[in-house]
Amino acid sequence: MSGATIRIAREEWRALARSRVAVLAGALLVLLILTATFISLQKQAAIDEARSQYQAEQVEEFYNQPDRHPHRMVHYGQFVFRPLAPLAFFDFGVDSYTGDMVFLEGHRQNSANFAEARQSSLMLRFGQLTPAFVLQTLAPLLIIFLAFRALAGERERGTLRLMLAQGISGRQLLSGKLLAHAGVAGAILLPALVALALMASSAGASLAQAGLMMLAYTAYLLVWTLAALLVSTLLPRGRDALLALIALWMVTVVLLPRGLPELAAATETAPTRIETEVAIGRDLKSIGDSHDPDDPYFSDFREETLARYSVDDVLDLPVQYAGLVSIEGERLTSQLFDRYASEAFARQDRQGTLVRNFGIASPLIAVRQLSMTLAGTDLDSHQDFLNQVERYRYGFVQELNRMQAEQIPAVDPGEDPRIDASNWREIPGFSYVEPDPLAYGSGRIVATFAILALWLAGLALLYAFAGRRLVWIAR
Amino acid sequence: MTRYGAELKLVLRSRIAAGALIFLFVLSALAVWSGISVTQRQDAAIERVQAASASDLATVAKVYGQPDGDAGYGAYYTFHLTWDPPSALAFAAVGQRDIQPFTLRVRLLGLQQQLYESENINPELALPGPFDWSFVLIYLAPLAVIVLMHDLVAGEREAGRLRLLLSLPGSRGLWLRRLAARYLMVFAALALPLAFGLVLMQPPFLAGLGMLLIAALYLAFWSGLGLLVAAMVRSSGAGAAGLLGCWIVLTLILPTLATSAINAAIPVARGTDLTLAQREVIHGAWDRPKKETFDVFFVNHPEWRGTPPVAGRFHWKWYYAFHQVGDEAVAPQVAEYRASLAARERWSERSGWVLPTVATQVLLHRLADTDLAAQLAYQDSIAAFHRRIRYFYYPYVFEELPFTAADFERLPEYQPRGVGGSIALGSLVAIALAALLLLMLGLRRARRLGVNQASRAGGD
Repeated sequence: MSGATIRIAREEWRALARSRVAVLAGALLVLLILTATFISLQKQAAIDEARSQYQAEQVEEFYNQPDRHPHRMVHYGQFVFRPLAPLAFFDFGVDSYTGDMVFLEGHRQNSANFAEARQSSLMLRFGQLTPAFVLQTLAPLLIIFLAFRALAGERERGTLRLMLAQGISGRQLLSGKLLAHAGVAGAILLPALVALALMASSAGASLAQAGLMMLAYTAYLLVWTLAALLVSTLLPRGRDALLALIALWMVTVVLLPRGLPELAAATETAPTRIETEVAIGRDLKSIGDSHDPDDPYFSDFREETLARYSVDDVLDLPVQYAGLVSIEGERLTSQLFDRYASEAFARQDRQGTLVRNFGIASPLIAVRQLSMTLAGTDLDSHQDFLNQVERYRYGFVQELNRMQAEQIPAVDPGEDPRIDASNWREIPGFSYVEPDPLAYGSGRIVATFAILALWLAGLALLYAFAGRRLVWIAR
Repeated sequence: MTRYGAELKLVLRSRIAAGALIFLFVLSALAVWSGISVTQRQDAAIERVQAASASDLATVAKVYGQPDGDAGYGAYYTFHLTWDPPSALAFAAVGQRDIQPFTLRVRLLGLQQQLYESENINPELALPGPFDWSFVLIYLAPLAVIVLMHDLVAGEREAGRLRLLLSLPGSRGLWLRRLAARYLMVFAALALPLAFGLVLMQPPFLAGLGMLLIAALYLAFWSGLGLLVAAMVRSSGAGAAGLLGCWIVLTLILPTLATSAINAAIPVARGTDLTLAQREVIHGAWDRPKKETFDVFFVNHPEWRGTPPVAGRFHWKWYYAFHQVGDEAVAPQVAEYRASLAARERWSERSGWVLPTVATQVLLHRLADTDLAAQLAYQDSIAAFHRRIRYFYYPYVFEELPFTAADFERLPEYQPRGVGGSIALGSLVAIALAALLLLMLGLRRARRLGVNQASRAGGD
């Protein structure tokens, strides 16, 4: 870096520092990031506390149930709550739009309920104040505001030609301006990065995730810095540069991210919850009806069971036959749940892929995806939560069914057969294993970084080209 | 009129201004089309669900609608469909319809365990918010106003025409004329596609007019602000920067700050609490003497007190009684939960008294009946329907009457709640006052411009 470059950068910083508006806007943004970080950390702490307390109480409640028929416990069920990932405060992602509480019971799959967005006024749709929102949406605006005059202003004042005439090369000038405004972007980013680093080291979050997140936001803000300076170089008037940049921001940050999901939703019809339930019920009937004594599927099942235990009558079985039927029935229903859920997830993934593919046109879509994935709040991690929940549901329901088969007498069970309450303690509470975004999302993370790199490279190339032609442009 | 014609030509001669207007028009048209497509998809989904539900019901009726059928089984396996069709204005302001369920099935079990089910939505698609006409109005139209207004004064000054203009006869109404011409152009670009959508979707005439009125007031606010800033700044660059700053603060920063504050101040955990509490009551009933359940149940349902008593381990009348008792037991939590939701809604509306962007959002979605209040009204209609279902089945269950195929024909049918859109009066007054105030301030400042200029010219 030549001395001229540094001199130009220093001069630009001095000019920005002299501008009251620039200083005010910069201070405001830093304040916003700090506020957003503070609010989000508090919100995360509150959510974490509430959910973990509910979860612990629920497990205790389950254990405290009296002697009962195991099937009663199948329907007493379990409530599970989704814990937040440690970095969620930075970007709550889809968490506000997905329920955090699921009720688990036998042969039914209930939805995750009480999503924040469903319980808030429409104002929530203006956006949520998180560090991610400030960096993704507002920081580019500040960069634009501070940089749109960088070159166009020199041109308007006539100082550009003067500098070029004094022997400063276009490349020196542009790299000086870049240095200055990249520094500004860095200053914007700094408080957020410090918060991220602090949280990552204290809350047991993966440092690699936090590091990659920082890298993504650095690349994103650099894209905007380059874009702002490039437009400021190419357009003759500051006002025109500002309007062009705002238009660019509007299209890539607001319009495309809103329009593309609409397109994705229109391309594929997603069956409603009720349609899915009815379809599952129908499929189940077509396999077999355990209530129908002549049902071919369950007659076969009975014959197999009798053969397995080498007895002639279900009453001679060492276990309760109804319990075995419950186990088999649960197995069949769960298979269908899994099939329909994976179809739904695949559909959501296709829609997401569509948005991301078009998202090459918008660095925001790329960085938003990266940010959610690395914060552990993307759609995949929610789907993974639902999958874990379903596996847990299946496990504890089958455990209770097994208790029914083994402990409820097959003959003369009495009017109100129950098993001992100590049995409930054999069923472990739900323990959520946080998925590793770097494992499940590695392909996407690389692809999204590639998009950001492409933007950076393209803009840098154009900027370098503009630097070489600056004398010609300035004419 | 020729003066207005001249203004029109003047605006359209600027490539940026013409571009912004065309862009706004195209986006407004796209948004109207997209909104219509959303409501049509929802209508289609409702039809599909109705068909699926009907075929499900037919299967249940065939199995349980026997001459000696037991209403207990019939009620247990029969799901009753409810649905909430999009209003005729929903296309313009989709609101929460993309995340709230618009079909829900309930049965004779406790309502509170069925009422809060979620729809299978793709949360990633819902995250950025719907692309509809209200979005174009609230976010994009102000930008078009800014493009057209920011250099209203400075542009003339920079071109060296300002003094001349102000000294011409008839310069008195100059700024009002300029303002009105630009305002009308933005309004037309925005309103024409909406008007087309209104003709297609046929909402009540007054409701459609209300939509246009809200847009007119919101744009008037921005135009007034535009003139005020334009008359205050020395250069067009400063005008653009100043107005964009206002836009950022009003559409991005303050609403998100207010949301954070409201949601932090008014927690809604009662939803979770009531669900958990209801389960304890319902499942606890299995281990309590049946008399306890009936004693509580008969308090609010004395008409069944004299029906045959329950003997043995299980009877449907006891089963449905403890489900109802479960609902009744959590009534205080339900009321608190609803109150907290209403409080969030109320405070959002109040923040609209100082934030025109929020006031406009409240007004549009209340009118289109697509806000949180709409979802709560839908839930209320489901609760009323659930009550009808209960009183339909109770005679069969409690009097132990046979439930036959003919009775399946008589099942209560859900009637969608009526038109729920209304004008949020407080927000309307707020936005009208804001528009009036800004227009007055803007015009006054612009008129002073002429006076200053004249006195300075006189002093020269």
